[in-house]
Amino acid sequence: MTIYESDLPGVGKKFEVELEDGERLVIVTHNTGKREVFLKPDADADGDKLFDLSDRLARTVGTILEGAYFQPVQTEQVETMLGDETYLEWYGVTDESDFAGQRLAESNIRERTGVSIVAIQRDDELISPPTPETVIEVGDTLVVIGDREDCAEFEELLGDGYEGE
Amino acid sequence: MATETALVDVGLLFAAVALAGFLADRIDQSVIPFYIVVGMLLGSNVLGELPALAGSDVTVGGASIVVPEITVGGTDVLTALGGLALTDTDFVVVGAEIGIVLLLFFLGLEFNLDRLLASKNRIGKAGTVDLVVNFGIGLLVGYLVFGGLLAAVLVAGIVYISSSAIITKSLIDLGWIANDEAEPLLGTLVYEDLFIAVYLAIVSALVLGGDDLGAAAGEVAIAVGFIVALLGLVTVGSGFFQRVLAGATTEFVVVRSLGVTILVAGIALALGVSEAVAAFFVGMAFSSTDHVHDLERLLEPLRDAFAAIFFFWIGLVTDPALFSLSVLGTILAAAIVTTPAKAVSGYLGGRIYDLDTRRSIRVGLGMTTRGEFSLIIASLALSGAGTGLETPVADQIYAFSVGYVLVMSVLGTSLMQHSSRIEPVAVPLLEGRFGDSPRASDD
Repeated sequence: MTIYESDLPGVGKKFEVELEDGERLVIVTHNTGKREVFLKPDADADGDKLFDLSDRLARTVGTILEGAYFQPVQTEQVETMLGDETYLEWYGVTDESDFAGQRLAESNIRERTGVSIVAIQRDDELISPPTPETVIEVGDTLVVIGDREDCAEFEELLGDGYEGE
Repeated sequence: MATETALVDVGLLFAAVALAGFLADRIDQSVIPFYIVVGMLLGSNVLGELPALAGSDVTVGGASIVVPEITVGGTDVLTALGGLALTDTDFVVVGAEIGIVLLLFFLGLEFNLDRLLASKNRIGKAGTVDLVVNFGIGLLVGYLVFGGLLAAVLVAGIVYISSSAIITKSLIDLGWIANDEAEPLLGTLVYEDLFIAVYLAIVSALVLGGDDLGAAAGEVAIAVGFIVALLGLVTVGSGFFQRVLAGATTEFVVVRSLGVTILVAGIALALGVSEAVAAFFVGMAFSSTDHVHDLERLLEPLRDAFAAIFFFWIGLVTDPALFSLSVLGTILAAAIVTTPAKAVSGYLGGRIYDLDTRRSIRVGLGMTTRGEFSLIIASLALSGAGTGLETPVADQIYAFSVGYVLVMSVLGTSLMQHSSRIEPVAVPLLEGRFGDSPRASDD
């Protein structure tokens, strides 16, 4: 596979990707971030425009094509709004979290961050609602309710090792 | 009261320009000629003449008609309409000036010296062919029509420089941007843009310097000195330009970049150096920072709005009466001579890029459009009236270039749009003559 890259002064960059059967996919990246995608039946033919995408959309589509986007649980994507400013979020517990191994009552999560843990997913088991005696274990997925700031604070508390699931 | 009138005038300006842009878009044409014509129609030379018409004799082809005074509800319609006529107020003039500055600022911003050097061989060859053929023909036409050397150089610039704005837009609209013809087209435009920066610096010094050779030489020296200083600023000051915008919010990016650009351009103008060239170098300085993307995104709408004022102003100060038969004849002759010249030099440029006949023809057709830079040279000619140029000559060059741009922008865009009809005729003709082997065509 060969990719030809060329500059388009004042416009942006052009990438030509050789496909099978001599077809070529042409991607024009504008300086504005817009991507235009064309298909050429062969190297000498004119490009037929397939579609264009905004910068953000192009990146999302790109990660899907790359196979990197689809993940069953990813914090930023699964966050659910309840009402105006309340979020329902999923967080994984790594061994970096300082409350791993603690009972809910002694972890003081609600006092420290303002979020409430409404359920804990452990392997195939769902602990809902957890009691003050429930022990948080590494590998748990915590289902949390709180406003944006509280959730952010909670995420910080999860420790540096936390990168989402 | 003055404020209210001024605001209404500016509102009228933008409304008219918006309407013209809408019309142009509807019929797939470049907006530039439409902006100019609207400016001409709303100016004191057309709309402003209406009140004087009432009750006067107008001779049309030997028959004399008395224009009736039309009154509706006690108001004289013609006088009322004439009252709407716009004049070149400070706002319009300064707005047009900012339009020029931003157009050149963007040239500098998108101009990448490394990129130019990377493909210097092909851009250099194609650009030089383009320069020699078209600038040469322009010199000849200019000298034959206007006599003087300075006038010839001005006409040569007007005829030589293709319109980056219109051509780039057409390339994107037609989807040619994905094809091989885009590279020689854009590469040649880069060569022209660099040339125009140097050209404007020297010619504006000549035009404003007057007849006195010593004074003109002094002006050129100042211009060259200023450019050298700016070049130094561009190379040494990249850290400064980086810091100016570091961590700035969108508001600050816009305000600070305008603050630097317009101030430098203004100082240049005050020193008698081309403000456009100064803006070009400031753009180049910003192009080496990490903020190019933000600047382009944030300033592009601003550039387009002020460029619209610039084109409108060009029309506003154009008196249709200046289009005498001899000027119209010159425009026609120039169009007839320079269209094939650009087409041929563009075709050769395409060949230098190893393109086949059909794509080389497209390069030729694409390059024929003239636009904003020809008008910038025209406004330069006008500002030299009475100093470097005699006023009637300056007026004629101005009228010539406005008319020429009107013709060439419409013609050039149309040639590009209808290239699929031209190619089937031109390809066999050229391949037959030059004995090229026919290439596969996809249509």
